[in-house]
Amino acid sequence: MPQHDRTSQSPSTLPFNFVPQEPETAVENNPHEKATTQVDTVISALEKEFTDAIGETVVYAGERTVRVDASRIVDVCVFLKDKQGFNYLADLGGIDRFTEDDRYEIFYNLVDLNDSKRIRLVIRLDEEKLSVSTLTGVYPAANWNERECYDMFGITFDGHPDMRRMFMPEDFEYFPLRKEFPLLGVPGSLPLPPQEPTGELTMDPFPAAHGSKPPKSFEEVQTTDGDEG
Amino acid sequence: MGSDGAPQEGFLTTTVDTVVNWARSNSLMPMPMGLACCAIEMMAFAAPKYDVARFGSEAMRFSPRQADLMIVAGWVSYKMAHTIRRVWDQMADPKWCIAMGACASTGGMHRCYGVVQGLDNFLPVDVYIPGCPPRPEAVMHALMDIQEKIRNEYSVAQDGIFGKEQPDIAPRKPSIVTPDGKDTISPSGLYTQ
Repeated sequence: MPQHDRTSQSPSTLPFNFVPQEPETAVENNPHEKATTQVDTVISALEKEFTDAIGETVVYAGERTVRVDASRIVDVCVFLKDKQGFNYLADLGGIDRFTEDDRYEIFYNLVDLNDSKRIRLVIRLDEEKLSVSTLTGVYPAANWNERECYDMFGITFDGHPDMRRMFMPEDFEYFPLRKEFPLLGVPGSLPLPPQEPTGELTMDPFPAAHGSKPPKSFEEVQTTDGDEG
Repeated sequence: MGSDGAPQEGFLTTTVDTVVNWARSNSLMPMPMGLACCAIEMMAFAAPKYDVARFGSEAMRFSPRQADLMIVAGWVSYKMAHTIRRVWDQMADPKWCIAMGACASTGGMHRCYGVVQGLDNFLPVDVYIPGCPPRPEAVMHALMDIQEKIRNEYSVAQDGIFGKEQPDIAPRKPSIVTPDGKDTISPSGLYTQ
């Protein structure tokens, strides 16, 4: 049972920024712990095969996250796929830690569909060298995830067959999930369509808030081409 | 038509605008611009339970050339905005637009770099529907608002005045007959408390 009794607090006494605290539970009786993530044998096999390339292992909620040297990630994944049976790349993505060193992190969630095992690999990249070898040669499913990672963080993947942006327009100049990117975007970087069929692109991202409303179609300025001339 | 009741013979007189507006308002063909979860409610709105066929709008037209009402249902990204504007420009006049749901109206909970903060930044919207997502009844109410708008439109302000320049007349409003049938009252007074 939690130490504090939440029911005694009426909503009016709660502070605005009230955050319910999870009570501390021991690792062995964590209710979120699953047997599928108990992959200590896999981790020991990894450490035996790649002694220096494997870093610390973080256990949270029963899930093992293994730090891997960024230059050896493809070798580690080939080993996990061929020798350990991790035949499915469930997810891949970037994290901006916003630190001085090793600012970016890429995580790889691997699944063994036959033996129901899950492992998470993490590599760290410094801001100076934002590129890593692609995983598409091992898991073709990494294609779009790596494109998304490039789109959102600007991390390039060497050897990727189609290194284009995934979601943002091709000529977009920024990487939106970096921490320094403003929440509402950079004004003028994403043009809105013209207010009239023959008009120019709207560079103001919030024209309605600035008093500009697109005219009704019957109020549009008639052009001289076509029947109107 | 005489004021004493039924017409004597098989005809009655009206204006062209009345007939045209009657036909337009009861045969709106929506262009379903379904972009997110609101589109599911829009499907319910057209399906038998809510049965928008009662209002003559059951024929969803996926070609902009055949549609005259665009229902934008869901959040609009900056990339999709150009496509929506292009489809809108291809629709034939007269045309109307409904911004369905909080996201299409204001950006809603998507207050971020990729989502247009309101459809009216690039489209002339006639009716906004609040809700996340709105109930199909709310969409039907918006449709009835559009119908009301169409029925109050006029096309020729100088009809019947023999070429004499007149100031623009206000849109006609329907009038309601008092229970004794002798007087009319304006419906605008009915809604003010």
